[in-house]
Amino acid sequence: MKVSVGDVVLPGDYCEEISAAGEKSKVIVGPGLQKESNHVYVTKAGVLKKKNPNTYWVDYYQKRYTPARGENVIGIVIQKAGDIYRVDLGSSMSAALSYLSFEGATKKNRPNVQIGDVVYAKTLVGSKDMEPELVCVDSYGKKGRLGVLTDGFLFKCSINLIRKILNPSCPLLDSLKNEWPFELAAGMNGRIWIKAKTMRETIALGNAILGAEYLSDEEIKAMCANIASILAGHVA
Amino acid sequence: MSQMSKKKLQLPKSVLDMKFMKRSKDRIEKELENTKGHEELYSNIITNEMRSATGNYVSEASFIYCEDLLEGRLSFKGMNPEIERLMELENAIKNGYGDMKKDVSDEDLLRNVEKLRKRKSDTTTPSQYVFKKQKTR
Repeated sequence: MKVSVGDVVLPGDYCEEISAAGEKSKVIVGPGLQKESNHVYVTKAGVLKKKNPNTYWVDYYQKRYTPARGENVIGIVIQKAGDIYRVDLGSSMSAALSYLSFEGATKKNRPNVQIGDVVYAKTLVGSKDMEPELVCVDSYGKKGRLGVLTDGFLFKCSINLIRKILNPSCPLLDSLKNEWPFELAAGMNGRIWIKAKTMRETIALGNAILGAEYLSDEEIKAMCANIASILAGHVA
Repeated sequence: MSQMSKKKLQLPKSVLDMKFMKRSKDRIEKELENTKGHEELYSNIITNEMRSATGNYVSEASFIYCEDLLEGRLSFKGMNPEIERLMELENAIKNGYGDMKKDVSDEDLLRNVEKLRKRKSDTTTPSQYVFKKQKTR
């Protein structure tokens, strides 16, 4: 069926608007869309979205992670195999993380990473069919925000929730950031790691994030205010 | 495109039939034959899609570029100063250097320049001193 931007789309639908745009200029075909010889077809059920200039994608609900290049993900080290660590991302296949792709690591000086550690890493190679490869450094060899996550609490959620809270227009982090000190790592594979000073604060933060999934912006603000006041002890 | 350029290269038939063009004619015929062979040889590999493909479609498997998502590692209220410093740096870049805090305000700069000018007119050659200092370093 022919569809246009903003519609609810199903796999097999095609969009002529994208093909028309593709004839004139460059088009970025995002997740949930696939270019075939004659049309651009939808491969996921969701809402067709567009961002100027000429970026199209399908906003769909998913909990299973399919690796893509350049995404920050949270993995759990499950095996040390020779010179790589095997890392579970929740995708169809475990990822490979070389021990040399940590800041300051050399052949002699191995990073201190144990089985069961949680790492925040970037996917260097990511495709839906092949084994993903992770790195914990940027192209300058600096660790930046990547690396092993110590302490804290890890939980899973849908990939949509990650996208929702990391969207610059989402009020969740804005309303929480001035309430109490906390640290957060959100992986695009549907895992969130949080760390706060006390257990109460950690639980409050986790509840706030998980509660935000199906709320509107206004409701999120109200919920955050509510949680903050409970935590501060104003409300029993 | 390629067809057009091929046509451009071709000489008219009447010219090719001339005696002195025999070698060129042979060469052109040979080339034509070769390319024909290619088409047949790879016909099962080359699809219609490949013939009509354009470089205009860039496929992107990740949402982060489509939705302009934030970096996923954040820290607030001094929980992890290292991360907060990185966040600040990133914000400064995002807001443009124009909005960056000035180390020296415009008034300070003006005052200092005035002072410097006065000093220059007072003393004779401060440049010698500067040179020496650099040398010792």
